[in-house]
Amino acid sequence: MGKIVYTGYPAFFRTEVAAQAERPDLLNVHARYFLKENKKWITASDDVDMYYKHEVVGNLTPHQIQAIDSLKNQGQIRLVFNTGFFTHSDSREPELAGIWGGLIGSLLTLFVTFCTAFPIGIGTALYLEEFAPKNRFTNWVEANINNLAAVPSILFGLLGLVFFIHFLGLPRPSALVGGLTLGLMSLPVIVVATRAALSSVPPTLKEAALGLGATPLQVLFHHVVPMAMPGIMTGVILSLARALGETAPLLMIGMVAFIATPPSTFLDPTTVLPVQIFNWSRSSEMGFVENTSGAILVLLIVLAILNGIAIFIRKKFES
Amino acid sequence: MPLKIDVKDLNLFYGDKQALFNVSLGFPEFQTTALMGPSGCGKSSLLRCLNRLNDIIPNVHIQGKVLLDKEDIYAPSLDVVELRTHVGMVFQKPNPFPHSIYENVAYGPRIHTLFKDKTELDEIVEKNLARAGLWDEVKDRLHQPATRLSGGQQQRLCIARAIAVNPEVILMDEPCSALDPIATARVEELIDELRERFTIVIVTHNLQQAARVSQQTAFFHSGHLVEAGETGALFTMPQDERTQGYITGRYG
Repeated sequence: MGKIVYTGYPAFFRTEVAAQAERPDLLNVHARYFLKENKKWITASDDVDMYYKHEVVGNLTPHQIQAIDSLKNQGQIRLVFNTGFFTHSDSREPELAGIWGGLIGSLLTLFVTFCTAFPIGIGTALYLEEFAPKNRFTNWVEANINNLAAVPSILFGLLGLVFFIHFLGLPRPSALVGGLTLGLMSLPVIVVATRAALSSVPPTLKEAALGLGATPLQVLFHHVVPMAMPGIMTGVILSLARALGETAPLLMIGMVAFIATPPSTFLDPTTVLPVQIFNWSRSSEMGFVENTSGAILVLLIVLAILNGIAIFIRKKFES
Repeated sequence: MPLKIDVKDLNLFYGDKQALFNVSLGFPEFQTTALMGPSGCGKSSLLRCLNRLNDIIPNVHIQGKVLLDKEDIYAPSLDVVELRTHVGMVFQKPNPFPHSIYENVAYGPRIHTLFKDKTELDEIVEKNLARAGLWDEVKDRLHQPATRLSGGQQQRLCIARAIAVNPEVILMDEPCSALDPIATARVEELIDELRERFTIVIVTHNLQQAARVSQQTAFFHSGHLVEAGETGALFTMPQDERTQGYITGRYG
């Protein structure tokens, strides 16, 4: 953890060289577009970035190193907050690559997951817990749901590949397919958590409401569900947090592709944050090592926020 | 005295196990009838037949008739939800909803829309809390959680909640078994006051309580109704030796 923070924190900063220094050999490969726009400061190449931050020589020639040192003395090279890390999508150049595409992809994917797994999961749990007859068939269904909650996530990826892509023919690396696949994965977890929350509501409360002439639906929605709500919400948010960090099933359905533009619809080619981290981590360039750790930090922060929301909701419903 | 509830040849089964055998018993209007007997004798099962709360237990099977105002409550055409507005229930352990004191009493009137506006609902809540002898104790904290009340107060709140839907019958399943003697005394007093407006059926295995609060007593033993009659007579001159044994403390 400490190492990730230590390695990832510098990713939030980038080295820039003053345009007036006229050293195109120190700039990133797309610098000529920036020069045309009359920018005063231009993003440096990743080699310069690494040397400036960590004094790693890399591919720099002694001549270039000398130039960087003299620019430093003249104040024509600087470190600024790397907004591009949050606003750019993936790139082959580590100094230009950002997590925006992954973040948007994760958001769209998670939205699909929520919209499918939440209503179906809660509905299934309510039916099984409150309405289903207790017979051999429902016992069998219950046992299967409990088992599904423990199935390795990559198998859900296989199911998604066969069913959504090969059978239904949905577009391959899209947020729709990714979200549906993660929805399948989250479903049993949500069902199990919701049922546990529902069954922890004391039966005496149900009897009290029934005794007052409440209909079974009123008992359910006035008393049982509100009382079980903190448990249900915790289960849902934690399973969504797990889906957000999930990589393996998405690799199975082809979401591993390099995608340099953020998706604008659920059917566009999409990548998600953990898959982007996975892709970056396979790159040996130092700039990407830094980016990998930086993106992990962002993912951890997002997960911490989600868990914080879960705790907040639980507290709010309890009071 | 007209009979409010008339149970005729009632048999009750939990799966294969029979819990009540050919029970026939009348409950006179505006009187308190105590159902008494050792644990597992079927008195609570009978009580829960009277508002069909046994229906929610799987594999319950019932034969016979239960007439409320000469109408069979097990007739297929009967609306169970409506039945329970006529037959209220107070449970063994106080079970207030985890809401405010006000909301607990207001819940029944709310789901049955027994009021026109907020003022009328306020009146209903006040009236029923007063009837349950709780108004003076809680009038300054109506919107605090009901769970903060003491056990005895909670049980009286549950009584206020039950009578707020204007039932005709109140079933009480050992309402004092979780209360201390002082709270018990208050609830017993309350039962005596409520008798003027409601027909009360109370399950108890406390002999003194049955003697104190009831006018009619029925004694049960292993699913059979052993004997029933006027409380004073049953306690002083029990006809059956099992009743005598229970009353004199030979078992129980």
